[in-house]
Amino acid sequence: MSVAAGGGESKIDKTKLTMYGVGGGILGMYLAHVLNMLTGTGYFSFLAGLGAIAAVVMGADAVRRVCAYGIGTGVPSIGMMAMGMGLVAAMFGLAIAGVAGPIIGVAIAMGFGYLMGILANKVIKMNIPVMEEVLMSLGAAGAIVILSLSVVISGEINYLDMLNDVVFTGYIAIVFIAGALAILQPFNANLGPDETQDRTLVLAISTGALGMFAAGIGSLITVGVGGGVLTMLIAAAIWLKAFLWFFKLVKRDSAGVVGTGLLPEGGL
Amino acid sequence: MSTFDATTLVYVFQIIIGGLLVGVGVHFVPVGGAPAAMAQATGVGTGTVQLATGSGLTGLISAGLMMSVAPDNMLLIVMSGAVGAMIMINVTMLVGNWSYVYAVGVPPVSGKVDYDPITKDPQPPYIAPGTVGHGVPTVSYVSGTIGGLMGGAGGSLIYYALMNINGISGLSAFFAIGIFVVNAVIASYNIQGTIEGFHDPKFKRLPKAIQSCFVATLIIGIFAVLIHGGV
Repeated sequence: MSVAAGGGESKIDKTKLTMYGVGGGILGMYLAHVLNMLTGTGYFSFLAGLGAIAAVVMGADAVRRVCAYGIGTGVPSIGMMAMGMGLVAAMFGLAIAGVAGPIIGVAIAMGFGYLMGILANKVIKMNIPVMEEVLMSLGAAGAIVILSLSVVISGEINYLDMLNDVVFTGYIAIVFIAGALAILQPFNANLGPDETQDRTLVLAISTGALGMFAAGIGSLITVGVGGGVLTMLIAAAIWLKAFLWFFKLVKRDSAGVVGTGLLPEGGL
Repeated sequence: MSTFDATTLVYVFQIIIGGLLVGVGVHFVPVGGAPAAMAQATGVGTGTVQLATGSGLTGLISAGLMMSVAPDNMLLIVMSGAVGAMIMINVTMLVGNWSYVYAVGVPPVSGKVDYDPITKDPQPPYIAPGTVGHGVPTVSYVSGTIGGLMGGAGGSLIYYALMNINGISGLSAFFAIGIFVVNAVIASYNIQGTIEGFHDPKFKRLPKAIQSCFVATLIIGIFAVLIHGGV
């Protein structure tokens, strides 16, 4: 444990965040799937993107809880691990269970997370008390983010469609990296002794919206221009709102923000 | 779901070997983390996962290239992946050393040993006071090359096994990356984020990483081989 990265107290309870993250993520995916099927359009894909944002917020909170112990390898490592576990679990769920796949995938991802937590604590002896529970949350967050962003691109929950629209087109790379960055970036950017939970989570909303925007660009070709543009517009609106909110919280938490003006003549 | 027969067991076995190679390979790569980025510790100035993923991805690309030419020759594919990863990690260490030597102005030196095990050069006189080494000295460079070899070979072995099961390059590549990343992170937890190479005392923790990576790859590998290519 080389560097304790700090991290303030939590105002929002982790159980609540996990509930909203898992519930919102899965609900968003299924709503997008059902409404797209019923109307025969791709306009409702954005709902899956909203679910992805909920899962990103949950994942970012899990990252800040475990990284406050100082895991010694940098924050990105744990975000990449979440996506690694989430990807295998999510695709396994989809391949064996079809429409029920996301739920099975998320459950398996939580199992992977628990196992990794046990390995980290019992075999490698990291002795971080929250490790098992946090990796469970992160596995679930990773799986939901991958599935939700894939549903944004493919428009419905169907293994073959997802293979065609997400894997064969190569968008899986964007989904993987944009999702990983969305989960790990908020705490990585805010860490330190003056870190506050609301600032980190608001940044998570904005990074999640960027992931949704990226998936929206992908969906322009796969679900159609209408659905894709709608997803991108909503993502851009959420990003703008969240980023302005984040900026306000930065000003709240900083010691002082002063405008210094330009350098004077000959100042260089 | 694909059937679970003897061939599948062979693929699971290959995936486990690949995962173990990745986990062991991480221990060879000189990673210095944030202190190294400020030239205050030996190693490349970034995290294990970034280095491992970078070399692993390059390895996958070269393995994929070989797979498109010789899809049945496992040895060639694995070797091609290993060479790709070695090139990537060597270029990173070399260019990193250029900036340490010519821009920061520090000699590459190890903080963990008194004499470089390969060149026999004394190390302590060159360490700036208050730091624990700089840059990538010869022994770390050789160690990093071995790490790239193992990581690249492991990653391409996983890729080869998965390609034989589902036949979709995108899916196999990202599963390989998923399994790769999980093993790399577990291994880097084992070394607490930084290591100089095989001469570092932390290298003795290797058995723990082997145990953990074995269990982790076994479980994830069993799930990964059950995913079919949508036929």
